[in-house]
Amino acid sequence: MNQALAVDATGVTKNFGTVRAVDDISIQVAAGEVYGVLGPNGAGKTTFLRMLFGLIRPDAGTIRVFDKTWDQAGVGVLDGVAGFIESPRFYPYLTGRANLEGLALLDGGVRPGLLEEVLEIVDLTDRAERKVGGYSYGMRQRLGVAASLLREPRLLVLDEPANGLDPAGIRDMRALVKRLAGSGLTVLLSSHDMGEVEEICDNVTILNRGAVAFHGTIAQLRTMAPDPGYLLSTTSDERALALSRHHPHVEVTCDPEAALVVTGPRPEVSSYVASLVRADVDLLGFTATQTPLEALFFMLTDESRPSAAHRSEPLEEAVR
Amino acid sequence: MTAVQSPPVAEREIVSLPSRRGGLGAAFRFEVRKLRTQYRGWAVLLAALLAPIPIVVIIHGQSRPPKDTLFGRFATDNGYALALLVLGFATQWVLPLLTAIVAGDIFASEDQHGTWKTVLTRSTSRARIFWAKTLTACGFAVLVLGVLAASTIVSSLLIVGHQPLIGLSGQIISSSTALKLVTASYVSALPPTLGFTCLAIVLSVWFRNPAVGIAAPVVLGMVMVLVGGLGSIEAIRSGLLTTPFESWHGLLTQPRFTGPLVEGLLVSGVWSLISLSAAFAIVRRRDITGG
Repeated sequence: MNQALAVDATGVTKNFGTVRAVDDISIQVAAGEVYGVLGPNGAGKTTFLRMLFGLIRPDAGTIRVFDKTWDQAGVGVLDGVAGFIESPRFYPYLTGRANLEGLALLDGGVRPGLLEEVLEIVDLTDRAERKVGGYSYGMRQRLGVAASLLREPRLLVLDEPANGLDPAGIRDMRALVKRLAGSGLTVLLSSHDMGEVEEICDNVTILNRGAVAFHGTIAQLRTMAPDPGYLLSTTSDERALALSRHHPHVEVTCDPEAALVVTGPRPEVSSYVASLVRADVDLLGFTATQTPLEALFFMLTDESRPSAAHRSEPLEEAVR
Repeated sequence: MTAVQSPPVAEREIVSLPSRRGGLGAAFRFEVRKLRTQYRGWAVLLAALLAPIPIVVIIHGQSRPPKDTLFGRFATDNGYALALLVLGFATQWVLPLLTAIVAGDIFASEDQHGTWKTVLTRSTSRARIFWAKTLTACGFAVLVLGVLAASTIVSSLLIVGHQPLIGLSGQIISSSTALKLVTASYVSALPPTLGFTCLAIVLSVWFRNPAVGIAAPVVLGMVMVLVGGLGSIEAIRSGLLTTPFESWHGLLTQPRFTGPLVEGLLVSGVWSLISLSAAFAIVRRRDITGG
């Protein structure tokens, strides 16, 4: 076992009846890194995290957390580990503070002042005396982070922390996670949002249907990403399509939704658009479909999206 | 989010892993705190405290005593007899219900609120959480029986009086002895009450549904009373969890016999042991896939 590993999962498999939720996956998270587990809903992310926390047992494989396994150490595996699975849940009839105090009891107590400190970090000091039943979804998410920080963890596990939040809540949650990640804490972040992982994580494992579809750094992922795609609407799509033949590095296809889909390196696409203007083809609309990493994510996870029609076949083969 | 003055938790260098553990006492305190915050526990205690008073008043005011029930003949003019009449009634379904309202909910409510994953990702083992909940439910059962007994006995003696009691063998029992025997009779209801508590616990764990955890022990208790009333099944009858509720009868005879008390203790113990073993096994092995 490498002492630098916070999480060392090897060959982990979990079945629910006849459904294989996690299929022989191996994930290593080094201490101090910010690691993303990415995948669409049902990819096995939450199942993996549940196994890490000992909420369910793997059918095969081992998960070591700071070099300890559940079989050897029992609940001691969770020393220095905190986080939440899916949306954090609390007792609705207790106040936010009473929930944290109760959880602190289960942790054997916390040092004086820590509870106030974590409430302040997640901006819940003013609402700590209110019953959790009256909390908004975002407030419960933040209380979940507070409950995790109460354990003074070395490894923070967050399962889709921005899920279900409004845009402002997403912005705040990402800022909080980035701040925590920037402080040297090891963070294992599960998400189905490539933008979130790209913004925060150093390394990523992409899961699809329970199996690993990609494992590596964000930088490696970027090198594999396809060209950006755009939806183009013009006064004459036929002429625009014809003009694309003079731009060999730009691929233009007709989208079923009566728009043109343009893919290619940004300078080539700019040149193509300029040629349309010169040819008196007026642009009615020009919007980016998705970021290159999002496009790659959808390719890896077989998600059908508008731009999936213009996949780069060699790239697809390369990442498999 | 607001900026914080002191360095946030995560920004501190944590050199060694904290290995604090929440012990059984800590988990128990959390369970008690949760119970104290919920209205249902207070409602049950309030019912156990107040409900006997109007019952005592109504029975005392009746011109025709309920002669077809044990001690019913003397209930209108003897406080001890009335307290024993209420005990006989309470053991039919009231005590199983009062204890199940907490015990039948204490595990299933974690499923209802989705909080299993919240408590099981802390530093307390499943075993400690299980025993903390079990102790809380059993402690509540003791408390509710104590409140019911105190309220019934005190209100009966104050409203009806504390004349000497006529025992089941026709013997006269002095007031002071009667008080001890009536109190002992209520205490004898504790083992089967705890048996029903444990039964509610296993049903709460098994079905993960508070309604089932609360209602099923009461229904099962009623079925046992019906089965116990059938003739020619003495072997089964002695193994029913409702039978120990009758073990106090021997205290009110001349001579007294305590065999049923011992037998009731054993039967209640076996029911409790089996229920808790099953519940513990389920909690220990259960995959927390939802809540």
